Amino acid sequence: MTKRGTGLKIAISAVLCLFILILAIRSGSVYISLKDLFGIIGGHLTGKGTPSDIEPMMDSIFWTIRMPRALMAFMVGGALSVSGACMQALLQNPLASSYTLGVSSGASLGAAMVLILEISIPALAGFMLPFAGFVFGLATVVAAMLLASAIDRSISNTTVVLIGMVLSLFVNGMMNLLSTLYSDHSKQLILWMMGSFSARGWKYCAIMFPVCVAGFIVLMLMSRKLDIMSFGDLQARAMGVDAKKTKTAAILVCSLLTGVSVAFTGVIGFVDLAAPHIVRKIFGPSHRLVLPLSFIYGGAFMAACDLISRTLLSPREIPVGAVTALIGAPFFAYVFFASRRKR
Amino acid sequence: MEITAKNLRVSYGKTEILHGIDLKIGSGEKVFIGGSNGSGKTTLLRALAGIIPHEGEVLIDGREVSSMKRKDVARLIAIMPQTTDIYFPYTVNETVLLGTYASAGNSLFGVSAADTAYAGKCMEECGITDLKDRHLDELSGGQLQRVLLARTFAQRSPFLFLDEPGNNLDIKYKAELCDRLNLWAGSGTDGIDNTLVGVFHDLGQARRCCSRAVFLKEGQIVFDGDIIDGTTPKMLLKVYDFDVASYIDCK
Repeated sequence: MTKRGTGLKIAISAVLCLFILILAIRSGSVYISLKDLFGIIGGHLTGKGTPSDIEPMMDSIFWTIRMPRALMAFMVGGALSVSGACMQALLQNPLASSYTLGVSSGASLGAAMVLILEISIPALAGFMLPFAGFVFGLATVVAAMLLASAIDRSISNTTVVLIGMVLSLFVNGMMNLLSTLYSDHSKQLILWMMGSFSARGWKYCAIMFPVCVAGFIVLMLMSRKLDIMSFGDLQARAMGVDAKKTKTAAILVCSLLTGVSVAFTGVIGFVDLAAPHIVRKIFGPSHRLVLPLSFIYGGAFMAACDLISRTLLSPREIPVGAVTALIGAPFFAYVFFASRRKR
Repeated sequence: MEITAKNLRVSYGKTEILHGIDLKIGSGEKVFIGGSNGSGKTTLLRALAGIIPHEGEVLIDGREVSSMKRKDVARLIAIMPQTTDIYFPYTVNETVLLGTYASAGNSLFGVSAADTAYAGKCMEECGITDLKDRHLDELSGGQLQRVLLARTFAQRSPFLFLDEPGNNLDIKYKAELCDRLNLWAGSGTDGIDNTLVGVFHDLGQARRCCSRAVFLKEGQIVFDGDIIDGTTPKMLLKVYDFDVASYIDCK
């Protein structure tokens, strides 16, 4: 692919993803014109307030509800996709995902314990559930990594994947036991686990944004190492990369990105597999491109799925995790097999 | 520069593959590592390059390889694998450029123009310039082998460890490879004489490229000396438990 061709594809992708994001903000039970939307955004950003010709209710719907929700969906989709891309390279497994090491099951167990034991820390206010989810999710990954390095000094990929699976199943078992024993909480728990962006306001974005920026920058700085790691640990060491250190650092960053995402929105699958695959098909496997483009593709996909989840059966809302899988799976299969047939 | 192994032992799980190897390789040498399948040749190369865990000592100029930074080791030793699994289809150009990682400056994302030019030179020398935009999964076995060789050269290390570099190459490319390696071995990198350590199954190729032979049998060195003395019919019979000379002569 020529540099010019790549540049054009990046530009088209960026415009398309921005278009989807704006569409996700504008659409729903109430529509808004582009002029009014930019009026609201401009008013808030400049501190001048909303233009007088826009109803205050419109301002409240779009600035307080839609914008943060769509941006949150975009950031979570991006974070999950970037971690997916990174985990696939680290484990040389195109089917690996940021959930491979048990982040989601750990987070779910944490959330279950908070709901059942009705624990609350006043300082965390409304963030108790995501906080517990995040702490348990990360603790599961750390436990998996410690266990893997105790069993296998070089932390080989098979060990990592197997330990991740075993620990996930174990933690899932504990959570199922809890939800059976305390069945009156199970509906709440299931809803949390299926994922939703409903009522995710600016305070969520304020945490998600710096996490995304920091995680993304760290992974981008590792992009060449990730390319080298894609050839396996032995070759990576031969070329001068400390495979064990790189793997541990990158897995922790991915777990942070995934942990915060899962904690705020529940377990949303599929995007972390699909977005990196599609990006690699279009732009090749170099992480210098795969990481940023996975972010915007995954973000746009998630924003679109959230739009569908709240409009398809309006006023009822479908869990966004179900939408990502129902729409994404056939689409992914088509893209994957269509490009295979061409070869 | 000198690489020394003292009582080197390597195990995979509970199986010990190398049983106490003592070996010294100095700058400017051209060493052939031989032996039958499973004798520990690849394991020895990997342990000397410090990419697998070992017991005993592997010293690079007196420093234990496992205590050195991987990037520093890679600047001294480049190791070409027998083959590679392709999980993600990088282009030939991208793959060869990755070889410059250890020697490159700390540029954030990109690769410097000097590295790009050097990778281009390596591709040219390995005869793969016209393949540079092809993806790895579109290459034949021999073409992939030459890409791996170019990537190893791109590392700019004075010690080159090659694990069966002639695999999948036709006779013409095998001969070209020998010429190329001899040319390389006769020069130096950063003031250090270039050193070649190669595992070959083709004894003709080994004799063309190397002057010293180290033969392994069941994880131990059974011969270490001049390649002419090492490749006599009697010695080959001892190493391979097979009449290699008669086989080569089609008897």
